[in-house]
Amino acid sequence: MMKYLFMRQLNKQRLCCLSLVFLILIFLPFASIYQNYTAAHAYDLLNSEEKFLYDVMQTLTEPLVSDPVQLDALKGTTWSARIGGYKISDPLAVVSQSFASWSWNPSFAATALIPLLVSLLAGRIFCGWICPATLLYELNTNFALFLNKLGVPIHRWHFDRRLKYGVLISGTLITMLSGLMILPAIYPPAIVGREIYYAIALDGFSISTIFFVLTMMADTFIARRGFCRYLCPGGALYSLLGRYRLLRIQRKVSVCNDCQRCDSICEFGLEPMSDQFGQECNNCTACIAICPTDSLQFHWTPVDQPYQGPGHQGRQYVAANTDLIATDTRSSCCE
Amino acid sequence: MNNLPCLTALRRIVLPSVMLSCLSYQSVFAHHVLGRPAYSLNEDSNTPPSMAVETQIGDFFITYMVFPAFPKSAQPGRINLYIQGIDEGRYFNDKVTFLVIDDAFFSDRQEVIGTQDIDDGVYRQGFVFKEDGEYLIRAHFEDNEVPYDIDFPLQVGELSPVKPLVATVLVLLFTIVGSNLLMGKRAQLAKFRAHRKSET
Repeated sequence: MMKYLFMRQLNKQRLCCLSLVFLILIFLPFASIYQNYTAAHAYDLLNSEEKFLYDVMQTLTEPLVSDPVQLDALKGTTWSARIGGYKISDPLAVVSQSFASWSWNPSFAATALIPLLVSLLAGRIFCGWICPATLLYELNTNFALFLNKLGVPIHRWHFDRRLKYGVLISGTLITMLSGLMILPAIYPPAIVGREIYYAIALDGFSISTIFFVLTMMADTFIARRGFCRYLCPGGALYSLLGRYRLLRIQRKVSVCNDCQRCDSICEFGLEPMSDQFGQECNNCTACIAICPTDSLQFHWTPVDQPYQGPGHQGRQYVAANTDLIATDTRSSCCE
Repeated sequence: MNNLPCLTALRRIVLPSVMLSCLSYQSVFAHHVLGRPAYSLNEDSNTPPSMAVETQIGDFFITYMVFPAFPKSAQPGRINLYIQGIDEGRYFNDKVTFLVIDDAFFSDRQEVIGTQDIDDGVYRQGFVFKEDGEYLIRAHFEDNEVPYDIDFPLQVGELSPVKPLVATVLVLLFTIVGSNLLMGKRAQLAKFRAHRKSET
């Protein structure tokens, strides 16, 4: 019972995790400005807003660090970051950097080792639990529903999911040929991290903000989570890495009642009720949280189950079995 | 350097951004550059606190200083510009034209403030702004028929931190978050209905 309660709370914990990542991304540029102010010993020269920022940051960080320089322990974005003494990079950063420079830097590649191992274990878990764009995209999904409620037409068009592999391959090829790192320019988590920094520390946005807003509009009016599902190069890489992931959500058909709530809640348009998870599942656990019979659970297995048929608690299965019993009864009666 | 629109845009966006981020750091060293004596940084000092930016362009090392550090409208201020050759350390000795460009969104206003000769190794330009705002001070000079344009940011008065683009993004964010709060638990029901609708 406790296990099921815990599993049901995972989605909330995930939202907390996403919010925390987002808040850290907002905190870091403020910390950087604060470090500049302290390094310059320029408090008297700051204007009133800057003094306010300095005072707030001092109050916030004083319990954590004795010297603002120690704030360097946490730096970067989800694209590439330093946490304590460890450097962690998105595997896509390593791919981009390696192909752009036509060189292999083992120490840089090693920074992607943890995300790589986690992806091999749990697939697109970065997309569901860490990606700062996911939080905005999920909020945007509800915003689309809100608009729809107000009478604004929204569409749920479907495209081929393999499109994103094309984006990944073509982006990598352009990177190889031009030496320009094109992938982080169209990769939402890199954009969000970067733009937050620009907005706070450098007082402006780059053109990527417009690109990101366009992806959100496409998600609203064309296809739910369309960018993540059909175009995201990072999503493509994580999907490939998670093809044979060990941790998967599976349906326990004996308790499933075919309510379809899992299918409707899945942001990625997967069909848990039909045992269709594939390599796209980002382990967001929304389906686990909404399942009224706790039929969806995590399992250690490298492959998905084939379609198990309708849930045994569902009308279709019950009706079929009732019919079977009736037939048997009739036939035995006739005998 | 030249007047290509993309380069101008780059200068307007990137250079001021980088400069602004460095301002607080640079200002402490403002009075030590080029062997100048260190003044008191007190507001009551005869020499008010300055804001300084150092940069390198072509063969020149440029130091730009604004007095006071945070000028206000209708208050006189001045710019001191030092242009020194990187290799031989010679001072550039010709005319420098100072222009002011309104750095606000959708504004292309620009005016020449004045053209100055060197005075004791410094190009000095006084100014009085009528309105608060964000401006770029462009120093233009030519050396061996090569034109140089250097843009420096200048904020006059205390401005609202909420600018048009920031405001737009904030409005978008508040709308999205607000709609989510309004939807609350009904979002799940709406998803369920939308799914059924898309199936039929």
